[in-house]
Amino acid sequence: MKPNSLDYEQQLKQLKKENRILTKKLQRSQERQIQLEETNQKKESLLKRVILDLEESRDVAEQRTIKLSEALAQLKTTQEQLIESEKMAALGNLVAGVAHEINTPVGNSVTAASTLAEETTSFTTSVMAGQLKRSTLNNYLDLATEASEIILSNLQRAGELIQSFKQVAVDRTSLERRTFGLKSYLSEILVTLEPQLKKTPHQVSVTGDETIHINSYPGAFAQIVTNLITNSIAHGYPTNQSGVIQLDIRHESQQIVIQYQDDGCGIESQYLNNIFEPFFTTNRDGGGSGLGMHIVYNLVTQKLKGTIKVTSQVNLGTIFTIVLPLSDF
Amino acid sequence: MFKVVVGHSNDPDSVEAVAEVLEQCLESLAEITPQAGILFAAVDFEHSLILQEIYAQFPDLELIGGTTDGEISSVLDFQQDSLTLMLFCSDEIEFCAGVGTQASQDSLAAAQAAIKQATSKSKQKISLISLCITLPDGLTSSGVTIIKALKQELGSNLPIVGGLTADGGKYHKTYQFYNQEVLSDSIPIMLFSGDLLISCGVNSGWNPIGKKSTITKAEKNIIYEIDHQPALDFYQHYLGDLSPSIEYPLAVFEPDNKHFYMRAPISHDATQGSITFFGDLLQGAMVQMTEGNCDGILNSAELSMQEALNDYPGTHPDAALFFSCTARRQILSSRAEEEYKFAKKHFNAALPSCGFYTYGEIAPLESHGSTLFHNETFITLLLGTK
Repeated sequence: MKPNSLDYEQQLKQLKKENRILTKKLQRSQERQIQLEETNQKKESLLKRVILDLEESRDVAEQRTIKLSEALAQLKTTQEQLIESEKMAALGNLVAGVAHEINTPVGNSVTAASTLAEETTSFTTSVMAGQLKRSTLNNYLDLATEASEIILSNLQRAGELIQSFKQVAVDRTSLERRTFGLKSYLSEILVTLEPQLKKTPHQVSVTGDETIHINSYPGAFAQIVTNLITNSIAHGYPTNQSGVIQLDIRHESQQIVIQYQDDGCGIESQYLNNIFEPFFTTNRDGGGSGLGMHIVYNLVTQKLKGTIKVTSQVNLGTIFTIVLPLSDF
Repeated sequence: MFKVVVGHSNDPDSVEAVAEVLEQCLESLAEITPQAGILFAAVDFEHSLILQEIYAQFPDLELIGGTTDGEISSVLDFQQDSLTLMLFCSDEIEFCAGVGTQASQDSLAAAQAAIKQATSKSKQKISLISLCITLPDGLTSSGVTIIKALKQELGSNLPIVGGLTADGGKYHKTYQFYNQEVLSDSIPIMLFSGDLLISCGVNSGWNPIGKKSTITKAEKNIIYEIDHQPALDFYQHYLGDLSPSIEYPLAVFEPDNKHFYMRAPISHDATQGSITFFGDLLQGAMVQMTEGNCDGILNSAELSMQEALNDYPGTHPDAALFFSCTARRQILSSRAEEEYKFAKKHFNAALPSCGFYTYGEIAPLESHGSTLFHNETFITLLLGTK
């Protein structure tokens, strides 16, 4: 019987231990229950609040988005208006240039014509008084010939000027399509820029294939070339040294390449990525609007469906390469 | 030779529990005498009696320990109201324990006293100290202050690992053990000298939630104002009328730092609207509420173990110690036992391991980096020799 009673004692001991453990666990589990409930209540409250806060900030964000889109739309309108007024300002400059340019031949003609008129009056008086000498007649005839030559050549010059201005001005305002010789048209644009270029020591020339004729928007070309040249003059030659600006056109497989090159001070690499952005200028104090190159970019990429790239080396110059697809012409 | 054994009993009776623990240890020791021990005990035990029994068996033991909010071991996995003892035997590693008291009055003096006591017993050079394990009282002084004091004495490159003792979630009074003494408001330490291999893993699983705010008034471990409003208002915005508690710590972003660490609240003052935390806080730092959930917590225990295993310099460790935050146990609740299961997925189940649920964790973020104070983390410490 002895081993059995030992076994029994062992079992009893084990049962007593288990009983102690279970009692403690029960007590713990009640505590744990309360703790868990509180923890969960806190979590519920926290999550509810975070959701509320998120909803609030979503509403705020939505309102801000609406306001921002409104502001953006307004900015776009303003930008378009600015671009339009920049175009008009350029046209205004053109008109002023035209007036100035035509003033000289017309002025010369007026001077010659009034001299002729005066001489004719005094010649007529001599004839009426019957005092006409041969020498007076010869002098008058010489003067009349010279005056009419002056008047004729000056009026012809004025006529030529008006012809090219007319074409450019019409192209600029109408932006209509027509067929034209690219090189001769670019040369005509340079003529219209003569009033501005005359005040500077720079040499501007057009080289390349004369046979290229395209059906496109000449006004766009006029504005692109004007803006590029104006830009070079305003920013490329700060110390008034004389520069060489060259426009070269060539045919390349299915494309037309217009390379515009100046030998000015160049553009620092940090600005190269920005120069086509609207309102980007390094010369706002000097009156730069920051729209000129943006207009160039828009005309090349949107109106002419081409691409424009810029490369530049400081102190060596800047090259703009405009590539236009031939299929479009 | 470096041998580590573990005993663990969940018998709530102190006499029975310590007898069971010692029986398990003696069996594993197989006649070898241990030099050092670390004891984790639930707060309800008769601690003096338990220590007497241990010293009756091993009179020359260097021991530190403390009260807990849950215990872990390779013998019984996760338990509450249990007693677990880890014993170390080695002829190459030297173990020296020390303690400093009245830490709340002068943390530096207490840290100095503990280190002086431990090193005075050592036959080794101070430069050979390779690890410090500490189990300080976190209810009487801030964890950050204690670590600062220990680092000042031991140098910031020595790994200091451990946890703040706990009292079963009552936040009333915790106890620390040094040899046969049962203390409060103290800093017990155990210095390991010699060619010890160690690695650490630290992971939390808590995530910031809600909007970021700024601490506008703080002093040491008390926040008075957040965004110029009483700190309590910040908590009540999220928790309603419920009190700030350890499982809802703040994520703290110091200026110019994208990473955050956590500070858990101990208590609050309803009239002042201030909140006291387990660690110090920096005025001007950004804070955010946090949220911990079971999956995140369990996953982080596994990550902590993996991190320690990846960093372990030897072939395989001889022992593992775990320090896990009490808030983790609280959120896991009935799933608390899964945490140790997740951690031990990656190592041999026979590896002697031991750990407890703390009121704050202490460990370097990298195995040999400078030691930091943590909340809400699961810390793995792997130990071994070449």
